[in-house]
Amino acid sequence: MAQILPVLLAVLANLVHAVLLFALAPGLMGGVSKMRAWALGRRGAPVMQPYRQLYKLLRKTTLIPETATDAYPYWPLACFLSVSVAGLLIPSFATGMVTAPLSDFITLIGLFALARAATMLGGLETGFSFGGAGAQREALYGVFAEGALLVTILTFALIAHATTVDGIAVAFRDGHIGISVSLAFALAATLAVALTETGRIPTDNPAGHLELSMVHEAMLLEYSGRYLLLFEYAAMLRLMVWMSLIGAVFLPFWMGRAGDVLSWPLGLVLWAGKLGGMAVILPLFEISSAKMRVFRVPEFLGVAMLLGALAGVFLFVAERIGS
Amino acid sequence: MFGLPGAGMQLRLDPLSLLFLVLLTPQMVAGALAGEARSLTYWLFALGMVLAVTAASAFTLIFGFELMSAASWLLVLRGDQKPATLYVGIAIFSAACLVPALFLPASSLAFVLVVLGAGAKAGLAPLHSWLPKAHPAPPAGVSALMSGGMIKVALSVIIREGFITLDPALQPWWGNVLMTAGVASVFIGALRAMLETEMKVLLACSTVEHAGLIAVGLGLALRAKAMGDASLTALGLEGALLCALAHALYKPLLFIGAGEVKHATGTASLDWLGGLMRSMPRLSGLMLLAASGMAALPLGPGFAPEFLLLHAALAAAGTGGIVARIGFSALLAVLGLSAALALGAAVKLIGVGFLGRPRSLQAAAAEEPGGLALAGMALLGVLMVPLALVPGEVLRLMAPVVRELAPNAALAPLGYAPLPLLGLGLMVAVGAGFGLHRFGVRGTRGAATWMGGFGKPPVWLPFGDPATQPTATGFAEPVARAIGRGVLPDDADPAELLVLAPLYRLHLKGVRLAEKLRRATIRERLAFIFAALVLFLLALGLLGGG
Repeated sequence: MAQILPVLLAVLANLVHAVLLFALAPGLMGGVSKMRAWALGRRGAPVMQPYRQLYKLLRKTTLIPETATDAYPYWPLACFLSVSVAGLLIPSFATGMVTAPLSDFITLIGLFALARAATMLGGLETGFSFGGAGAQREALYGVFAEGALLVTILTFALIAHATTVDGIAVAFRDGHIGISVSLAFALAATLAVALTETGRIPTDNPAGHLELSMVHEAMLLEYSGRYLLLFEYAAMLRLMVWMSLIGAVFLPFWMGRAGDVLSWPLGLVLWAGKLGGMAVILPLFEISSAKMRVFRVPEFLGVAMLLGALAGVFLFVAERIGS
Repeated sequence: MFGLPGAGMQLRLDPLSLLFLVLLTPQMVAGALAGEARSLTYWLFALGMVLAVTAASAFTLIFGFELMSAASWLLVLRGDQKPATLYVGIAIFSAACLVPALFLPASSLAFVLVVLGAGAKAGLAPLHSWLPKAHPAPPAGVSALMSGGMIKVALSVIIREGFITLDPALQPWWGNVLMTAGVASVFIGALRAMLETEMKVLLACSTVEHAGLIAVGLGLALRAKAMGDASLTALGLEGALLCALAHALYKPLLFIGAGEVKHATGTASLDWLGGLMRSMPRLSGLMLLAASGMAALPLGPGFAPEFLLLHAALAAAGTGGIVARIGFSALLAVLGLSAALALGAAVKLIGVGFLGRPRSLQAAAAEEPGGLALAGMALLGVLMVPLALVPGEVLRLMAPVVRELAPNAALAPLGYAPLPLLGLGLMVAVGAGFGLHRFGVRGTRGAATWMGGFGKPPVWLPFGDPATQPTATGFAEPVARAIGRGVLPDDADPAELLVLAPLYRLHLKGVRLAEKLRRATIRERLAFIFAALVLFLLALGLLGGG
């Protein structure tokens, strides 16, 4: 019994995490949109609007373009599944979930790359020009985002001596890391990658309807009904997943432990607070900056890569001086 | 049998040679099924590879290696004359380095010669620029075996010499040499794969990338072995060997598939293909599976090696001197960039070639290839499944090889478990399927594709105007603009400008000099002989007198 209970609790924590993840992701997107509208002085759509949007797509007939191949339905599914699996691995309110050993950062990068590849193939699927334009831009962004993220992981791995998100969160929560320049640089690099991956301003405009400047939306133009639902849901989940990831790595303080039920409520409140805080900061950042030209984005991410590398170099120097 | 008088051929079957035999067999079968079964040269080529990986003596190794080079040269000649000359030049260079290296005592010079000789054959930068020209030239079955097999044979020579034969003289900087060559190949290969439009050239560039990845892993392991880091040695070796195994399955599949596409449509240029998923569904499915390996996507066969190599680079950056650690950070950045470039190349291969609308009538009318070629591809595809789903078990089977190469290596269990990930994915899929089925509107309806505002195509273009569809060139354009034109000026490989062009100029000068000597008049020749005689007598007199 003594051995089974922690495992059961870990599974239970995972279940609670999964339910909250899937249930709250549209709400988070709605909250961000509402906040953004307020910041712009508009009333904005209700917070529940994304749920209605998803329900509307559920009730719509799914149209299949006549030039689509048989692989057409699988791209949204692959995109949705890989983002979902990534979401199930990243701790939200408690560390030590049953999926914790799987949450290696490199596996996560792989899952995000899989989602990106599926979306790009979805854009190329019907052979219309906007999808291809979106896919080729996404390919460019991906190159720099992946390089920047890998360099940044090095900083985490060096400080925390772990490469799983769970291990990093535990190390940052329990160890007395303190505020370091390296972590500040790593945070800046991670934020730049997160903005690119979730398709927010300044790299992409989630509310954009001008086809020439779209990236993520351009690849989904030919999708409708339940396939579009999967893509849109995946985009909402991706926002939630990245916010949870940044919360778990940079703000893991007082995160609960899966084996200790009494620590869950505080962890849950804290997680909600982190998401709420980020949902306020993100729109404020978005309205204060303009969307970049496509070829400025590699420079933006190149700076992120440089900051990530600098974070590592600072650590090396600090260790040399310290020893 | 052949062999040196009195000694003969000496073969051996230790774990390393066994691994390489296992790695070569499926692709030989697949290549034979793809139409090479009746070619004597093909089987000589295969025999050369088998001899080279099982050789127990230097003579046998050189015999096998050169048999492989000569047979593959004949096979390249069958496809195209032009790259064959370059190819034979590289083969001679590689032999010139390898033959003395194998008879030298264990020393750094021997290692450098082995890396030059075998590295040129494996397509490591800066001696890689022949590979994207020579590998696509012969028929697909041969290309498959050249890319999937010959590269590995050359790397196996580096492994055997570096880790076993030359072990007594092992130095940490040997690893740095391999890593530098490897990371340069990774970046150039991935970038060129992203920019190329011809399918087989794209695949050959991706081979350069994967040869580089294997070399990076070997270099990390070699350096760690020299410095006595047991766990990093194991990580690097496991990554390199698993990468070799995975690449030996998906790259031949892709090459054979590209050959079948060329056979069915008359071209392998992605700019003339499109929509093949419709006309060749089975071939396209296999190509998609193999492309997921090439792009190192999770749940595909290529992810576990990439995972191990990235972890090895992370671990290497964690210890050691400050300059080395900054170097390893840069290595990580380049590996990340290249992984995403490889993903872009794979998406381009599938998205432009197999999805979308046909860009030519031939592409629209393509037919599924014959059963034999498809069976060979399916064999490779089935063998990829264990590598994709239970890479940890495959690594456990490979443990004797790692122990043979580095007896003190500390093997750790693999941190990436695809089966639980697959389980999680299936659970979400069942949940999503239930939700969509229970609450959603079922069924689908066909609809006209929105053409993005372009006019109605003429009637003789049933699949719409191909010019309104993004091409492979267009797909690569943002990357070409942001990175490509800076690294590859005038679309030429930097290795060609820096290595081959000066060599060519030197060659030209030599030829002119030789021609001048040949055309010398009788007086000039007599004067030359007379001068030589005088000089000889002078030297003899001075030396004899002294």
